[in-house]
Amino acid sequence: MSISSYCSLAYLAVFLPAVILLYSLAPRKARPFALLFASYGFFWMVSGKLLAYLLVSTFSIHHAGIWLALTQKERDLLLEQAARGEKKEIRGHFQKKQRRIVLGMVCLHVGILAALKYASFLGGNLNTLLAALKIPFTLPIPSWAVPIGISFYTLQAVSYILDVYHEKFPADRNLGRLALYMAFFPQVMEGPICRYRDTASQLWEGAPIRFRNLAFGLQRILFGLMKKVVIADRLNAFIQSVFGDYASQDGGILALSVVLYTCQLYMEFSGTMDVVLGSGEIFGIALPENFRQPFFSRSISEFWQRWHITLGTWFKDYIFYPLSMSGPLKKLTARARKRLGNHFGPLLAGAAALFCVWVCNGLWHGAGWHYLFFGMYHFVLILAGNLTEPLARRVTGALHIHRERAPWKVFQILRTGLLVCVGELFFRAESLRDGLAMFRRMVTGFSLASIQNGAVYQLGMDKWDFLIVLAAVLVVLGHSMARERGAHPRQWIAGRCLPVRWAIYYGLILFLILFGAYGTGYVPVDPIYANF
Amino acid sequence: MSCREKNRIRQAAGSALFLAGLILLLSFTSYLVLPKNNLEAFGMTDVTANGILGEPDDSIDVLVLGDSEAFCHISPMEMWQRQGFTSYVCGTSSQYLYWSDTFLRQAFQNQKPKVVILETNAIYRDLSRKDTLVNRLENWFPVFRYHNRWKSIRSGGFLSPVEYTWTDDYKGFAYNNTVDPAVSTDHMTPTEEAASIQPLNQWMVHSMARFCQENGAVFLLVSTPSTLNWNYAKHNGVQQLADTLGVSYIDMNLMTQEIPIDWSTDTRDKGDHLNYAGAVKVSSWLGQYLQEQYQLPDHRQDEAYARWNQALERYRNGVGASS
Repeated sequence: MSISSYCSLAYLAVFLPAVILLYSLAPRKARPFALLFASYGFFWMVSGKLLAYLLVSTFSIHHAGIWLALTQKERDLLLEQAARGEKKEIRGHFQKKQRRIVLGMVCLHVGILAALKYASFLGGNLNTLLAALKIPFTLPIPSWAVPIGISFYTLQAVSYILDVYHEKFPADRNLGRLALYMAFFPQVMEGPICRYRDTASQLWEGAPIRFRNLAFGLQRILFGLMKKVVIADRLNAFIQSVFGDYASQDGGILALSVVLYTCQLYMEFSGTMDVVLGSGEIFGIALPENFRQPFFSRSISEFWQRWHITLGTWFKDYIFYPLSMSGPLKKLTARARKRLGNHFGPLLAGAAALFCVWVCNGLWHGAGWHYLFFGMYHFVLILAGNLTEPLARRVTGALHIHRERAPWKVFQILRTGLLVCVGELFFRAESLRDGLAMFRRMVTGFSLASIQNGAVYQLGMDKWDFLIVLAAVLVVLGHSMARERGAHPRQWIAGRCLPVRWAIYYGLILFLILFGAYGTGYVPVDPIYANF
Repeated sequence: MSCREKNRIRQAAGSALFLAGLILLLSFTSYLVLPKNNLEAFGMTDVTANGILGEPDDSIDVLVLGDSEAFCHISPMEMWQRQGFTSYVCGTSSQYLYWSDTFLRQAFQNQKPKVVILETNAIYRDLSRKDTLVNRLENWFPVFRYHNRWKSIRSGGFLSPVEYTWTDDYKGFAYNNTVDPAVSTDHMTPTEEAASIQPLNQWMVHSMARFCQENGAVFLLVSTPSTLNWNYAKHNGVQQLADTLGVSYIDMNLMTQEIPIDWSTDTRDKGDHLNYAGAVKVSSWLGQYLQEQYQLPDHRQDEAYARWNQALERYRNGVGASS
């Protein structure tokens, strides 16, 4: 039975229960191996022989980690014996050596990722350029199968090596633990992008499955399934039909489809993350959260601290900070501070680092110009937000607008939501040209006629579908509002008396079964983020 | 008993009770969304094949299962007219074996056919384990199959009693008189090779054969003529399976004397399916064979089967008008 996603019957009804059983029956010491066996089995079922890439990655970082550790140990021994004057030289020598190891590992991982994921994009663009320059040469474009989750586990591998290099923790000599950190089946396909320090020891602990963990994990899986199957999958027919034939739609329909696509993307990805985190929770493993009510963000910058959090923090820790702290940018900041002042001065160097982050972020999502545009769009918005912040403060001050009061907050939340939706248009569009054409049509041809005359119901969703989506979105909104206020709905439910608790569970299960978009008339929807 | 053990027992009992409640709830909601009649307007799918649900209890002698090869090639009304026994084709396009199995078990809830025929083309349609599991789940809890009916059910439709009233005058047969000759007719070139049958498919056929045996029915494998879908290797594969199961197997593709299919006039799509003329030849031979082999009763003079004679009239008019 092949596994297509974490929300598939094969995963939820067969694979996960089988792993729970295997894990429960295994003695404590064997449990991590049971998880590792299950994880490789999972990877094999999804990607077959491409498992070799994951193995290469795992073995290489294990070896490089130990190499770094030995180098660090040798350096420390020499430093202990060295005279004061020699220490700097020793440090420099070993730093160079370590950097070579790190560089080798980063090149290996980024190289594999680039070759598998971006060769066709880069080759295609080079051929276009050669043709434009009338150079009679065409590069052969290779087409390789890409293992599932390569964008996710590559970042985990790189973060491990960099953290060992920075001596945040000692290199792991336990190959099994490192392999499980890289391959743990709930996260290998769509993240979250874990850090070794956060998950490795939990994974290797082999803690018993407790009833509370099982119950809480299953609850979270159920809630995630509701988001995915009731909302995201139901919206799919409408979004496919509008984006597939946007030229026939008026601006009102396009605007609606852009909002609904943003909703679909959030429900699909966060729903899958609920299934992933719920799966981890069953085994007593707390995987890092990837979402924190992103649509309550008051700025784009804040949005990216709440949406795909583990990707954002990865870019912040391994690209933004190292670049910002690099010698050339430090010098630039110091010079700019003198000329532009304390607000705008540091922004210049920050902008350079931010630019790199968003180029990487855009390309990480996919090999295409529209993904790059998506990254640049957010770069510009965040930079503009930073640049105009003093002006915005002055204007709101002059107009006596209280920035912490509800109307201003609501305005900011709506503005951010609108900007995010526009960005998602380019993210979803087949190409940059299509994205721009859709945007143009949405703005210049805006009309509510299709919505008023009911033509909107002919695009794959009837009024009942819209009503169900609305009802389910309200449930998610209620949950998000509670979380935003610091409440814990699952703990609240756990604290209710049994009839109330069971009524909620049964209600959610029936809601999912009755109103889920599955079975006859629905095409199974592939996980969106598994392709990144 | 320690506090921990007590806690464990309480948790296990609670979980069992929760699951029992869920099963009850699924059964109840299944009843709510179940089509209350076997018409499309009531949400019934595969209406023609499900026309068997509208037949009076214990009135069908022969049940035919399979894909389009079954419903295009076997006409129950032709057999009724000649031999007088009743039959129904529960055939659907590209039918998977789990679906054949579902029709089989569903039919036996109200009928006691003496013979069950499985058209063998479906045996070579690969099954996915997931789909087979889903089908099983849908059979246990129809809410998974009909969940989307909440859109069309109006007040009263949820709790009204189930009453199947419709049946098909053609008894599952799909009439077509188009002629589109076959290009090649040498599909049955002898070979020692046997086309392999997926283990899951073998298991499904085995399960159907066992079910028939337990319910006192003869299970028969039949390959109807098709130049595009059948060949000798498939014949060998099914023959091996039939031998393993100990059931009879009839391959009409090899019976050119008994069933003289003229591939220039008897097919509607280049040998893929037979047309009406071909179906008459198949049904004539099959009807005679079944009656002789299994002593099926002749109900033509039986008052209780008067509706079949009326249906035959309409069938003849329909077929005659179109021919």
